[in-house]
Amino acid sequence: MKGILAMTLAAVLFLAPAMVGAASGVQGSGEVNVITNSFPSLEVICAEMDKLNRDGLKVETKLSREAEQEIKQATAAAKCPYDLVQGANSSIAPLQAGGHIQPMNDLVEKYRDKYNIEEGMLIRFGDDIMAIAFQVNAQHLFYRKDLFDKHNLAVPTTWDEVLAVAEKLKGEESIQFPLGGTFKSGWNIAQEFVNMYLGMGGEFFKPGTAEPAFNSEAGVKTLEMMKKLMAYMSPNALSLDTTAVMQQFQQGQIAMANLWASRAAKMDDAAESKVVGLIEFAVAPSAVKGGPPATTLWWDGFFLPTTMDGDRDLAFQVMMEGLKEEVVKANNDEAIWLRSVYQPSRFSKGAAASAMAGAPSYPMKPQFTMVHAAIGANIGDFMAGKESAEKSLADAEAAYITAAKEKGYIQ
Amino acid sequence: MKKKTFFAFVGPSVLVMLSLIAVPLLGVFYLSLHTSHVKTEIVEVKSVVPLFGGLTKTTVQKVPQPVLDEKGQPVKVWEFVGGRNFDTVADPGGLAKALSKDRSQTADGQPARLGQKLHGLYRDVTDIDFWGALEFTLMYAFFTTPCILVIGFVLAIAVNSLVQWARGPIIFASLLPHIITPVVGSLSIYWLFLDNAVVAALLEQLGAGKIYFLKDAVTIRALIILYGIWHVTPFAFVILYAGLQTVPKDALQAAEVDGASRWQRIRYIVIPHLGALFSFITLIHLMDAYRIFEPVLVFGSNLFANSLQYLTYYILHFEDNYAKAGASAILTVIGIIILLSPFLYRTFRDQKGGH
Repeated sequence: MKGILAMTLAAVLFLAPAMVGAASGVQGSGEVNVITNSFPSLEVICAEMDKLNRDGLKVETKLSREAEQEIKQATAAAKCPYDLVQGANSSIAPLQAGGHIQPMNDLVEKYRDKYNIEEGMLIRFGDDIMAIAFQVNAQHLFYRKDLFDKHNLAVPTTWDEVLAVAEKLKGEESIQFPLGGTFKSGWNIAQEFVNMYLGMGGEFFKPGTAEPAFNSEAGVKTLEMMKKLMAYMSPNALSLDTTAVMQQFQQGQIAMANLWASRAAKMDDAAESKVVGLIEFAVAPSAVKGGPPATTLWWDGFFLPTTMDGDRDLAFQVMMEGLKEEVVKANNDEAIWLRSVYQPSRFSKGAAASAMAGAPSYPMKPQFTMVHAAIGANIGDFMAGKESAEKSLADAEAAYITAAKEKGYIQ
Repeated sequence: MKKKTFFAFVGPSVLVMLSLIAVPLLGVFYLSLHTSHVKTEIVEVKSVVPLFGGLTKTTVQKVPQPVLDEKGQPVKVWEFVGGRNFDTVADPGGLAKALSKDRSQTADGQPARLGQKLHGLYRDVTDIDFWGALEFTLMYAFFTTPCILVIGFVLAIAVNSLVQWARGPIIFASLLPHIITPVVGSLSIYWLFLDNAVVAALLEQLGAGKIYFLKDAVTIRALIILYGIWHVTPFAFVILYAGLQTVPKDALQAAEVDGASRWQRIRYIVIPHLGALFSFITLIHLMDAYRIFEPVLVFGSNLFANSLQYLTYYILHFEDNYAKAGASAILTVIGIIILLSPFLYRTFRDQKGGH
């Protein structure tokens, strides 16, 4: 019995790729090498691309947490070993400014109907379509509905209100801290700074230049607000990243945090979470009353390298096979998909509300990764009480100026 | 030995060392003297990005864009800059300023005590990335080295006095920490000491109260150093254990007959016999310790504990500047050479003196 089952299984496995290959609509032959970051929706997309393998078509996908670094090096090479690369609004800008990725307007026109490529998936620089995006992500308010009901609290819409609610939740014994936050020194805390600073109406650059302007009054106010918030968090806050904050929620340790929408579904994952059904999601709080939510919108998408050695038409088809409507339908809750067939769920409520309320997109400028890094490397000193807000902003500014001069962004 | 035979023996190693060590190192040095980037100009660009549910957002902003040549290719800048990358990495100017700063008065105008002066000096020097990274790198190297030597030696002696059949499994078990990939090992330590993780929860149950291990430099540095000891001690242990097998039995027996205690036998026979191995382990570990990276990356890099290797990674990854990262790497190599020079000198002298 077991033997027969194994044989049938082997036969199915053997035949399956051939069957799918025949059904797939990829025209042409050759090899397509794909590199992407590694998270749930990309696993789905890459698995779909892998199914395209057939005689004459070889698709190889590589998922890696270090993809961004590898893509930077690979696309700068005289011959890029990858034909299709994935990235987000933070990584596209330096690639575009370096001329490392190419426009795909002609391919979008050619395949628009076949794959129903929607306008809301296209990333344009001027007239050039430089990327096809498939999902969005943003940090927004996660909160414990049960505790809010118990204490008769309204959902805060500004960070000042968050502070007031946190004060009231201080006495709640079932939790350890009213607040959580992705305040880990480095990239995470810089992301929180970017969110809050843009929410305060701060400008990162002097108008029309790449000269820094974040060493400002709004910058100091941002840091002061972040420090006030930190007082309601775990003393370990400066070492806690997204996953650690997600676990704080799942373990019932915290009542509120501004957390990534991509982690929302994990709150109801019974295998990990003790708070299934207790977490609600809302628009990210504003930094100033009546202002936009203090968060930034992110997207993920695919680009074609300028120096790819494969066939760009073939690479484009492979990409669209991975992003077709059936994939979104079959994996609705894996991400906040951009396709209109996506059915919003309660997990996408917070991100959607933040977008509707006018949250800005994460800055798409090539020099911005350096700003982000310089801030992440320097504001921790203020948060840890080692130096003043002014000093840490001045340090960040100096670090950015040095780095940006060396890359030719400022003279 | 004839000259020809000598070269026939040594030649291949020299060739391999030249091609795999010297040539890449020279290449990195060459890179570090240059700067390279795509030439950009500020241009007004209209960008469209998706928002949600089919909505898009259009932004018009002035951003750096590549300058194109007549063939439509981005113009690349490649310039010789001499020591500029070294200067920006090590920042000797900033160091000089920190050292020469007038610290005779505190912020409120009181005459400063020596302790305050030293603290101010320490703060200002370690606030410079390179010198802050150097501080913890050296601290890590100097704290872990004696610990792994002592613990490794005690373990080796202990295992050596076990009955034969028990040795194999115990050696295998004690090697495990060394086999674990550093980044996985670091992550495990990080996870053990999170808010309500195993160790913190256990200590709380034992009545030690709530301890937050990841909140300041002292505990994070202690954890990184403990991780280092845990990770490298097996290496010292296995080498010293192998060395113990070569200790002459008759010398030990003679000492025993003469009435030497167990400690005296270890002190006067075993330790001198293993002397070369102790230097070898110290040499290798100092080299490794100077390149500490993974735990720094895992434990919230650069705020509480930084390292030179992390600094190089930061420059490469976040500043996207491989020429400057090259300068940082060369500075690391120079640091290792300086750190090891006493040992290298001793080895050189021993070799010259002996045989």
